[in-house]
Amino acid sequence: MPASRWTALYALTIGVMVLILAWFASLVPIEDGQRDWTGQLVEGGWMAWSFPVALFFWLIAATLLTFTFLALRFPETPRRGVLGIRTTRGDRLFITLLGAAFLNIAWLGFSGQPQWQGLLPSLIWAIGVFRFV
Amino acid sequence: MRKVQNNGAWLLVLPVFLLVAFSAVIPLMTVVNYAFNDSFGENEFFWNGFDWFKEVIDSDRIRGALWRQFLFSAIVLLIEIPLGIAIALTLPKRGFWASLVLVLLAMPLVIPWNVVGTIWQVFARGDIGLLGVVITSFWADFNIGRDPLSAWIVVVMMDVWHWTSLVVLLAYAGLQAIPEAYYQAGRIDQASRWAIFRFIELPKLKGVLLIAVLLRFMDSFMIYTEPFVVTGGGPGQATTFLSIDLVKTALGQFDLGPAAAFSLMYFLVVLLMSWVFYTVMTAMDVEGGTQ
Repeated sequence: MPASRWTALYALTIGVMVLILAWFASLVPIEDGQRDWTGQLVEGGWMAWSFPVALFFWLIAATLLTFTFLALRFPETPRRGVLGIRTTRGDRLFITLLGAAFLNIAWLGFSGQPQWQGLLPSLIWAIGVFRFV
Repeated sequence: MRKVQNNGAWLLVLPVFLLVAFSAVIPLMTVVNYAFNDSFGENEFFWNGFDWFKEVIDSDRIRGALWRQFLFSAIVLLIEIPLGIAIALTLPKRGFWASLVLVLLAMPLVIPWNVVGTIWQVFARGDIGLLGVVITSFWADFNIGRDPLSAWIVVVMMDVWHWTSLVVLLAYAGLQAIPEAYYQAGRIDQASRWAIFRFIELPKLKGVLLIAVLLRFMDSFMIYTEPFVVTGGGPGQATTFLSIDLVKTALGQFDLGPAAAFSLMYFLVVLLMSWVFYTVMTAMDVEGGTQ
């Protein structure tokens, strides 16, 4: 594909993702003139969607899309890192996300600090995985 | 042969992807949502942040179930793997008896879980069960409804009976695949039986044993039906493993929030094991391909 078509594809994907995010944000209920960010997006819905969880899944989807484009535009050969296994970018992303999930559970269980600070060890883990695994 | 790489083939996965999205991803998303909300029914939900996760992590009951689960998996692996290898080593290599023994060994594997549970439930009864009666009359009081040790013995024996055959069959297949030349070389060096096992058979079995360990760990880590039928998780909480505790929380008490948070963490462990399994299998494929 010519580069201009790739650019169009990127723009289209980013546009769709931004629209979806804007749609989520527009569903956030307003209480007493304030946006209730943790309120129900669908009042009375059985799936109990709220903005933070929707954002979480949106971020996962965006990451997967990013890595799909990376794999298409910049194909790579697997490499062998400190674990002695062959990994591609996608494998390292999976290891990163899974490890970050365990790190966050450990943070919640043992640190007693606010949960968002658990992102810091996760970030260090992510850099380590992408650099050395 | 040169294999053609065509990413367009991914589109062929689309139907299955849609099916899985419907049957797995949407329920998973619902579980994630329930883990972060509280509800008093009528589809009315209130944001609860990480409180359910915190509650589950701090819960003594679930920690107890987790500890029992690891203990159970460890005991089961420590018995089944060595026993499976030992049985595989003694099996006849070929002929009528080999076929007969393999068929007999495969039988426990094809019996449904709840039937296995019922068999052992009756087998272990102190009044009419063969095992229960024999132990009660010769050794000591044996009651899986009252005595935790009895319950554990029965649950572990049941799993060993049900699944050691799997390890045997895997190890047997691995042993059959060792070329005769290795044994000839061993005989020339006057290797002892132990040396043959340690330096020829065991290294050659490494691959299948790894698969056996992972399979048995996964299965025993998710065990539900058999202990549920035999002991119902009792006496008390003595044989309440993770999945039994999870079902009690979700369906018994209808505490959907804690149950959802709990099952997500359970899911992470299973996901980790699945990844290890996948990685090991593909790594072995690559190794086998370059030999």
